[in-house]
Amino acid sequence: MKTIIFAMTLFLISAGVAFGQTETAKSPGSKIVESLTKEEISLTIPRVGVDVDRVALDNGLVIYLYENHKLPLFNIQTLIRCGSVYDASEKDGLSDLVGTVMRTGGTKTITGDSLSMLMEYIGGNLEANIGGEKGTVSLSVLSKDADLGLKLFVDLLRNPAFPQDKLDLAKIDIKNNIKRRNDSPGSIVNRYFYNMLYGDYPSGRVLEWASVKNITAQELADYHRRFFTPNNIMIGIYGDFSKTEILAKLRALLADWPQAITALPAPPEVEFKYHPGVYQIRKDLNQSSIMIGQLGIKRNNPDRYAVRLLNYILGGGSFTSRITSRVRSDEGLAYHASSNFNTDSRDYGVFDAECQTKSASTYTATSIIMEEINNIRNDGVTSEEFEGARNAVINSSVFLFDTPGKIINRLMSLEFDGLPPDFYNDYLNEFRRITLADIKSVAQKYLKPNQMTFVIVGNPDAFEKPLDEFGPVTNIELTEPVTE
Amino acid sequence: MKGLSILLLGFLLILTTVSLAQTGQIQLDVKKKTLSNGMRILVLENHAAPTFSAIIRFNTGSVDEHPGITGSSHLLEHMLFKGTKIIGTTNYEAEVPIMAKIDSLAHLLRAEQVKLLSPLNPQDSGRLKELKQEMANLQATEKKYVVKDELWDTYLKEGGTSLNASTSNDGTQYYVSLPRNCLELWAFFESDRLANLVLREFYSERDVVMEERRLTTENSPRRSLDEALSATVFWASPYCWSVVGWMSDLQTVMREDVEAYFRSHYSPANAVAVIVGDVDANQLFKICDKYFSKIPSQPAPPPVVTRDAPQKGERRTEIEYDANPMVYVGWPIPQIGHPDLPALEVAANILSDGRTSRFYKNIREKKLGSASASSDETRLPSAFTCTMTPFGQHTTAELEEAVYAEIDRLKTEKVSEWELEKVRNQKDASFIRSLESNRGLAFRISSSEAMTGDWRNFLDYREALKKVTADDIIRVVDKYLTKKNRSVAYIVKSTSNSPAKRAEKEIGR
Repeated sequence: MKTIIFAMTLFLISAGVAFGQTETAKSPGSKIVESLTKEEISLTIPRVGVDVDRVALDNGLVIYLYENHKLPLFNIQTLIRCGSVYDASEKDGLSDLVGTVMRTGGTKTITGDSLSMLMEYIGGNLEANIGGEKGTVSLSVLSKDADLGLKLFVDLLRNPAFPQDKLDLAKIDIKNNIKRRNDSPGSIVNRYFYNMLYGDYPSGRVLEWASVKNITAQELADYHRRFFTPNNIMIGIYGDFSKTEILAKLRALLADWPQAITALPAPPEVEFKYHPGVYQIRKDLNQSSIMIGQLGIKRNNPDRYAVRLLNYILGGGSFTSRITSRVRSDEGLAYHASSNFNTDSRDYGVFDAECQTKSASTYTATSIIMEEINNIRNDGVTSEEFEGARNAVINSSVFLFDTPGKIINRLMSLEFDGLPPDFYNDYLNEFRRITLADIKSVAQKYLKPNQMTFVIVGNPDAFEKPLDEFGPVTNIELTEPVTE
Repeated sequence: MKGLSILLLGFLLILTTVSLAQTGQIQLDVKKKTLSNGMRILVLENHAAPTFSAIIRFNTGSVDEHPGITGSSHLLEHMLFKGTKIIGTTNYEAEVPIMAKIDSLAHLLRAEQVKLLSPLNPQDSGRLKELKQEMANLQATEKKYVVKDELWDTYLKEGGTSLNASTSNDGTQYYVSLPRNCLELWAFFESDRLANLVLREFYSERDVVMEERRLTTENSPRRSLDEALSATVFWASPYCWSVVGWMSDLQTVMREDVEAYFRSHYSPANAVAVIVGDVDANQLFKICDKYFSKIPSQPAPPPVVTRDAPQKGERRTEIEYDANPMVYVGWPIPQIGHPDLPALEVAANILSDGRTSRFYKNIREKKLGSASASSDETRLPSAFTCTMTPFGQHTTAELEEAVYAEIDRLKTEKVSEWELEKVRNQKDASFIRSLESNRGLAFRISSSEAMTGDWRNFLDYREALKKVTADDIIRVVDKYLTKKNRSVAYIVKSTSNSPAKRAEKEIGR
């Protein structure tokens, strides 16, 4: 059993504080809750170089290792700097196809089908996926199969084949999704909302068959050659293995991979603009899907912590939050009513408030949401709400590092996202530094009710009142997606 | 740091390449105690992180309901977060007379709503409106005493995550993951809501559930099709209605109906509490004894006896919906404990799990569409189901044909030893992965204990899956997956919402 010494130890807030001074009336049961004595829990934050090893190969490939023998599992997680932010508009869908076909198409020495047979036979998983700003390749096998798994993983990472038949198959899947994109209100409202806010920036694009159908196998291979270079990749390994042995094997398999010199272009920038207005998309439903919002902040914004608490109180803290409490619990107008404020995005993220309510309460639910947004800007929040939100964030931090997978992923992601390795040491203190007044100030700074975009999917004939008081109304007809 | 309290016996000795026999030797050191009122407490220590996951599962789900109160198990799932005599209220005594008024008004409202159901009754929409306004006023008065979502709020402030509850046909479960120091808080809250539940804000929560039904069922093509398939496969069995219940029942079910259902079905002997994580078993048993033993014992809920008669021919249901075509097929299969279930599950795995499965190779890679099969262990006889989505211009009929061809092949040709071994290895590997999550383990242990009376049954079932032979598969597929026994529900795209159709309607008016 190894002993781990944690240099940085943070203590969580004990129960009493959470129920400190409050002006509102309390329940008899809350006194029992307060009377329960509780030991303090120290949060131990794993550190690079102590609990987790970091090794950089000469070719620039960075490896994180976390040896943990509790279960006979061997896992790899990989981060590759690539993604749809680099896709040209006329090649929309390229990154997604690379991720899919990389896995299904196999490598130059083993076909995708054989790879599937091997992995499924040993009960393992080997998957690849490319999202907005990163790609991932992951492996999970029993530790007795670690050598086989590692070889297949490296082969896939370095030598994917991108055969035409698997590309065609992946395109059929995308085509089917495009054809069905108007079947459910949730996918419609999201698509229009993000498109309104981001326009042709990759997060706002609507994937069309016209761009997908012309993507070639050669373009997939070129993409791989461009982005999958050792100095653009981080590998995290965790589970039941010997560190020294695995490092030797990794060096044997990866050290000869030549570094590429080309620097990546800067990704396109989001144009910060408001798009006020009400956009009604007609579909014959008995319930409206509503999204209201605007562009918000970038993750390097020092206000991100205050914004996170603001959103928790406004609509992000489930039942505890104002929008949920009023729209759902008080008025019974929705099952789901919430707000989200993305504070983790490299470029501008989105603030949105959303709910689904029967057609005849569309106006009412929308106005309650707007009332709450205006209230929090005008009056800020109570000290009870503020303490509650802060305690929830701080006390739940005990779950940040509760499994080996989370430990390796969080530490690797810090480096990948350009955040300092001691980010989490300061993380909780950031929340401790925020004051009640900060919440009101960020509400006023970042929530612009008069500039918001309203997207509603539903049947406007059945709304109890028109929505024109929220802005000029534009009606949008859904059209059959083109898949020829 | 102490190790996981899971004994890995001799596992290091068996590092051969083929069979994963070692997983059979993994033992879970689950400790179980039954309280004097019959409530079972199960604990599995895992000291990897200073947290624990807790779940209370009731062996009560939508199968325990009857027409008129369908959806009540799920509605109660919502109500259990509304507080008790001492939680969620500043003054319970003051609330009592208001709730009584709300209840009598609700009866008047219900009488009006019932009138609307029959054309024989005189209609008076003015009266309904008047009563609704009166109800809104009373609800506003009740709110003065409500401390909103206090249990939820407190759990979150203390750092709780994965806080929720869920209802299925077979059971209802309340769960949360908390820092280690919240054990007693958990026992207090959970025992209090069983002992002192108050169904406050019932009628506004009923509205929330109706919105949930619109969201998750009516406006979702997949779930609409699910609901149609269940109502086609099951004519008598309570699996015929969905967990959320029928809309007309939700509109008319009364607070006292749901309260009576709670009294009869949420007894301590019908509940299982499972805690997995950084706790001391003895201390946990002491705390549970202190809090949960106070709940009086009561008779077991009535058994569910309704079963479907043997099916006498294929059934087909067509749904017109503003969505692209899909088709779901179901065949009746026996309930949990029946020896044919493992072979049915392995057949489903061979058909549709992974990229080497038969549906993937012969349907998806041939670009016809996607298809999947599933078989489950359930409290009452349920269904083996296949769901299919055609690609492009292919039709649901083509997909059905392709799926039936694969099923027929299972009846005539033995599956390969490779396919069986693959399934066995996958069961073992996924079992080991499941040990990583306190919460996942708590779910497995609690559902097995609640449905079968012994948590170990899920381990035995896994062993039974590994013993399934090629002949077993031929036998069960031939026995259950027949044309006579199948029910088919499918979506045809309705174009009533197209601009052209709407224009037509306008002109017609």
